[in-house]
Amino acid sequence: MKYIKLAAFGLISAVTLSACGSGSEESSGEGGGDWEPEQSIEMVAPSGAGGGWDTTARMAAEGFETEGILDEGMGVVNKEGGGGSVGWSYIQGKSGNPHHLFVASPPLLLIPLNGQSDVGYEDFTPLANMISDYGAFAVRDDAEWEDLNELFEDMKDDPEGITVIGESSPGSMDHMQFVKIAAAAGVDPKSVKYVSAQDGSTMTNLLNGNADVYSTGVTETIEQVRAGEIRVLGITAEERMSGDVIEDFPTAVEQGIDATFVNWRGFFGPPDMTEAQVAFYEEKFQELNDSEFWADTREKYGWEEAYMNSEEYSDFLEEESASMQELLDDVGLYNQE
Amino acid sequence: MGNFDGILSGLQLALSIEGILFVLLGVMAGTFIGMMPGLGPISAIAIMIPLTYSMDPTIALVLMAGVYYGAVFGGSTSSILLNAPGIAGTVATSFDGYPMAQKGQAGKALAIAAIASFTGGTVSVVLLMLFAPLLSSVAIVFGPPEYFALMILGLTAISSLSDGSTVKALIAAVVGIMAVTIGIDSQTGTARFTFNNPNLLEGIDFLVVALGLFALAEICNLIINRKDKIKGNENIGSLKLSKSDYKEMAGPMTRQSFLGFILGVLPGAGATIASFIGYITEKKIAKNPEEWGKGAVKGIAAPETANNAATSGAFVPLLSLGIPGSGTTAVLLGALLVLDVQPGPLLITDRPELFWGVIISMYVGNIFLLVLNLPLIPYIAKVLAIPRPLLISLVIMFSMIGVYSISFNTFDLYMLLAFGVLGYFMRLFSFPAAPLILAFILGGMMENSFRQSMTIANNDLSIFFTRPIAVSLLGVALLAFVVPLWQAVRSRRKSKMSS
Repeated sequence: MKYIKLAAFGLISAVTLSACGSGSEESSGEGGGDWEPEQSIEMVAPSGAGGGWDTTARMAAEGFETEGILDEGMGVVNKEGGGGSVGWSYIQGKSGNPHHLFVASPPLLLIPLNGQSDVGYEDFTPLANMISDYGAFAVRDDAEWEDLNELFEDMKDDPEGITVIGESSPGSMDHMQFVKIAAAAGVDPKSVKYVSAQDGSTMTNLLNGNADVYSTGVTETIEQVRAGEIRVLGITAEERMSGDVIEDFPTAVEQGIDATFVNWRGFFGPPDMTEAQVAFYEEKFQELNDSEFWADTREKYGWEEAYMNSEEYSDFLEEESASMQELLDDVGLYNQE
Repeated sequence: MGNFDGILSGLQLALSIEGILFVLLGVMAGTFIGMMPGLGPISAIAIMIPLTYSMDPTIALVLMAGVYYGAVFGGSTSSILLNAPGIAGTVATSFDGYPMAQKGQAGKALAIAAIASFTGGTVSVVLLMLFAPLLSSVAIVFGPPEYFALMILGLTAISSLSDGSTVKALIAAVVGIMAVTIGIDSQTGTARFTFNNPNLLEGIDFLVVALGLFALAEICNLIINRKDKIKGNENIGSLKLSKSDYKEMAGPMTRQSFLGFILGVLPGAGATIASFIGYITEKKIAKNPEEWGKGAVKGIAAPETANNAATSGAFVPLLSLGIPGSGTTAVLLGALLVLDVQPGPLLITDRPELFWGVIISMYVGNIFLLVLNLPLIPYIAKVLAIPRPLLISLVIMFSMIGVYSISFNTFDLYMLLAFGVLGYFMRLFSFPAAPLILAFILGGMMENSFRQSMTIANNDLSIFFTRPIAVSLLGVALLAFVVPLWQAVRSRRKSKMSS
């Protein structure tokens, strides 16, 4: 049905256009090869249920539905594995089929750069960035360091004495966000002693003293800070964030360390999408971004607004990728075979 | 006093019509999903999450918790009847459960499992109520060195899981350790033994190995040695347990309720380690270890008590610290965040009705599980009466669905097949499969915690000997290794002297 309608519509507009010649309505009209999805849209979260990607994807799908932005349904599918690479290869295989999207964040840059995935951001079509989140560096409440500078000074003197723990594997987000800020403060990136704990024991190991610093997302620290168990020495945002508890976290920048790390999150499509398809999604994501639902969602999860359209997003990714490559090279984890 | 008010408001919620209805729904859904070979609590909870979006957070958690322990409760069914463990926590149950069912006592095996699960579940909920706030400090004493020591202790069980040659058991264990090293190494981020195949980057999932080695290998065996037995095994035996059965179960059930609970409290250890350690400790102190593996009553009671006790234990770090101790509780945590509940040290004071409501509902849920399951056993056990060709096809189908639903990747299905073939040949040449799966489960955690410890200690091995818990666990492991050796030498000497 839809197909026929679309074809008929195309035919009619083509006829009208050729009849009118170049009219003033053309640019605002539907002449530019408009596109609409022909089936329901699959949104892939390249991770298990419950994580950051999964939450973003599910909230977006819910937003599209409750705000009535998309006519077609959007289903979220988890494709877990290889730090995201399993899901990415899947989308790559959907080349030219714009009904398959996925949610991504810095690991899409980092994992290909450290050699764990053959596909990277260049292989996909950036549609829109939606939000940004920031990293936080937490220590036990009774730790000796009052701010990041004290921590980094100690690290310079005795790098072996300080263990940094994070969820992701070395060379991925939790590790690199710490290295980036530490390097800017003069710590040798290679000397950072980083332990990865992927079984959910990161907070435990900070609390029981096996690790000294926990590199994680801002929201993950809130409860333990409220309970007085840990303190956040610094966050990777440019400016202080708003919200209960979070507003008290100092940024690295205000402590005189000129570095930030953005945990951006946005949506991508498969390779080879047409301009009209990109424009369609750009517009829909913009609509979602401006909606009340999304404003509530941002507040609920402590995300900051960071909308970028496809073109801005591409430029941003190119810059980020170059800077990550440099950083990984400094740590000795840049790996391109 | 504050606690008392909290308990009261929790009681009110848990015993409200809504609370009872949803705990019933949860445990029923959980048991049925858990019974399917290949589907475990993670998939069960994931199925439930969308239902909970608009619910009251306490009721939602009551429901999801019910699904969780319901699935662990029901998980033993497929282990016992089909030798197809759906979750790691019920692998140990199959060691004696399946042989007992094969002997025509499927009803009895299921009844033992149900009673043991109920005991483990109930005792541990009482422990959870009494000690949850206190135990939160215990939950965090374990760091990488302690886990390493615990894994070593677990691995000493290999010798007790072999019924014949220890050498063959060790070879099987080495294969298990080799298999678990495949994939991205978590401490360096490098790919190991993946042969540039992206499908192997994530490593091999536990389910692939368990269903291949146990379920598919058993099916190969049934097909090849069929003796024209088209009809199923009608005989499920009596459900009734004799007084001596109860007497036999009492010891393991009491001990494993406590041990299982404590192991469940430790993040990362959970139901799997608890069930294995439960099985092994009871076998070590049993008077008739030679009957284990052939359908011993205690061999079902011990792991089933332990894994259900551990399931309640896993709620201690989740509710009192906001730390998920296992994959399943991590999914639960994610679901709670969506409902605007942030579990953490303040949960018990901020939302006492939720904290206590869930715990009390677990008590109710365990009673439901027993009451629902016992009368159903004869019908469930009738699965075995299904004609063999049909049953075999069903098991293959469910195994494949279970494996495929891990990551929707057909490559995993080929791996499942490969492990099925491996399992069949291992049986043919009488290599035991249990040490392989044990090493596969423990080996990964052992390596990881060893290397985390090494990084923390700057490659100084003394970290394992300067920490009291680690060193005591290693000491017990050493005893577990040396004592049987010494006994063997002594008995050999004795027999020499007498001859």
